[in-house]
Amino acid sequence: MRAFRALVRKDLVLELRTAEVVPAMLVFLLAVFTLVRFALGSSRLAGGSRAATGMLWAVVVLTALLALTRAFAQEREHGIWDGLLGAPVERWIMWAAKACSLWVFLAVSQVVAVPLFWLFFLQQGPSPSIPVLIAALLLADAGIAVLGALLAGLASAGRAREVLLPVLFLPFAVPLVLVASDLSVATISQQPSGFETLKRLGFLAAYDTIFALLGWALFEYVVEE
Amino acid sequence: MSSCEAAVACSGLVRRFGDRDALSGLDLEVARGEIVLLVGPNGAGKTTLLRVLATVLRPTEGEAVVEGCSLPGQARKVRGRIGFLAHEPLVYPELTVTENLELYAALHGVAGERVATLRERVGLARRGNERAAELSRGLRQRLAIGRALLHDPSVLLLDEPTAALDEDGRSLLRQVLAEEGRTVLVATHEPEWFSGVATRQVPVRAGRVAA
Repeated sequence: MRAFRALVRKDLVLELRTAEVVPAMLVFLLAVFTLVRFALGSSRLAGGSRAATGMLWAVVVLTALLALTRAFAQEREHGIWDGLLGAPVERWIMWAAKACSLWVFLAVSQVVAVPLFWLFFLQQGPSPSIPVLIAALLLADAGIAVLGALLAGLASAGRAREVLLPVLFLPFAVPLVLVASDLSVATISQQPSGFETLKRLGFLAAYDTIFALLGWALFEYVVEE
Repeated sequence: MSSCEAAVACSGLVRRFGDRDALSGLDLEVARGEIVLLVGPNGAGKTTLLRVLATVLRPTEGEAVVEGCSLPGQARKVRGRIGFLAHEPLVYPELTVTENLELYAALHGVAGERVATLRERVGLARRGNERAAELSRGLRQRLAIGRALLHDPSVLLLDEPTAALDEDGRSLLRQVLAEEGRTVLVATHEPEWFSGVATRQVPVRAGRVAA
């Protein structure tokens, strides 16, 4: 547990000092929202709140790619992998610590993104349920973080990592976006049954669990070869 | 010398990168307490050998045993007994000297108090709050030596340890090498600097020990 805490703390301190990841995510979010808002010339998308909410999820996943691309940048650029791998720490702890840091970065970016999204697109008309949207975001972020930490570790060993990471990550992110988007859109115009909501949240939790198990089992092979 | 007496024993060690053999059937035994210099041209396989022994790379074929533990099967046991000084200092440039040492102390399960002791020992006591990026190359190398010694390893693997070190730094390195009981493997292009402390030289060429 001490090693896990030390690794997470290291990532957070590095981000506070270098500001490499979260500010880039925020600028990207703001840029996409602004582009869409002014390209359409209106705060109402053609498909209304449903289209806007769906777009939010696409932007969440694309923004996450920025964080994933930099996930192991320090370790790679300064050869620090050899130091970490030479320590008597289970590799899954390194993966779990990175997933935890990524989850924090994603959550922080969304603290800014969701109010902006509301401001840009949902001032008029119906909105999705905030508690459901927040629950979906937290679960989706966990899924992105556990899967992303594994794939970022894999891509960091390759030469074409900037290309490889999106190619690996985006197909796996499709079910996450479909369900999370469906979940939040369903709350816009009607009150879905509690069972339906729980079922979709359960899918997100199952997705998180499956990729957490894969990360736990595979990270050792990903970083050692 | 039998393998069970040796601190390090390699037999038919092969490490392949794609089509290229960085190690091609290397045999080596190093007794406990020996200071062995690995000498040879660039690309001979010295660094790869140290990285395999440091458990950072898995051998493709052959056997490597460190302190009685075979690699890669018992790598985790070995990691606690090895200190690895690589080409790079293996520290985060944006973390301070103390933060870097504290991180590695946590990874090695070493008490936090040892960080202050090591900082003092490598001559960085007053630079604890400076970021590694702000240190000169020589001071970063001292920090790297501190990192490698943090968990008091019984086997030290040093890759070009004299690089960038000034006279004080070299004197520190000499003190480390003079400590009894520690087994040390040094990859170096400066074997003459180690004369007097080194037990023997092992020439490495084309991924194996040259006759």
